[in-house]
Amino acid sequence: MSTFREASHITTGKFVDPTPAPAEAAHPEVGATSAPLKSAAFFIGSYCKDYNEDFMLCKEENNDPAHCLKEGRKVTRCAMDLITKLRENCEKEWEAHYKCLEKHNQEYYACRKPERTFNECVFSKLKLEKVIPGASNTPVHLRENTIYN
Amino acid sequence: MPVPFEALIPLGLITGFFGVSGFFFQKLKTSINEGQPPRFGLDRWDRVMLDRDYRLTGTQRGQAHETAAPSAFSTNSAWNLEKEHL
Repeated sequence: MSTFREASHITTGKFVDPTPAPAEAAHPEVGATSAPLKSAAFFIGSYCKDYNEDFMLCKEENNDPAHCLKEGRKVTRCAMDLITKLRENCEKEWEAHYKCLEKHNQEYYACRKPERTFNECVFSKLKLEKVIPGASNTPVHLRENTIYN
Repeated sequence: MPVPFEALIPLGLITGFFGVSGFFFQKLKTSINEGQPPRFGLDRWDRVMLDRDYRLTGTQRGQAHETAAPSAFSTNSAWNLEKEHL
């Protein structure tokens, strides 16, 4: 578990999975990829705070994947709920922001303008605000000028 | 004294070679990354997220903002194909 490697010694040709199918049906998973998730990260954090904290505390008790499946499903459902709301209300601004992020190596600093419009849309429609925890003076996403302060 | 134009010929050639190769290299990079600049400075998190993006969309740099993942997502992980190491 100390290093990560991609699955590289895979079988070739036709493969039939010998393990039996799981007893319960597969649960729905979040369908958003990395850039939309990064764009909506702070809103997911504030909207799903309770479920996320539950999950993290559960993981702290016991790191076994099987121990925290229920809390994990709640986290997934909450994130899916927020994604549905974002798609209904602020889809265009969200798309503009995450497409900008994709062009700039998913760095926040490069995409402040689309981020501003997206944050305003989300605040007006969904009443969620992006808060950077532990920010000292003006948070970096609200500064007009980041070079000369 | 007139400008020694013969000295500018190799300068022009070198600039041209740099320019042409840079142009083609840029086109190659953006064509691999579907019209975007390549990702750099990737750590383990980013690599795992890129693999997840590929499983969700089918292309290397495609993005999607669906609510639910397609049904193939639950079974298209390459780890299920990993050979047993005994």
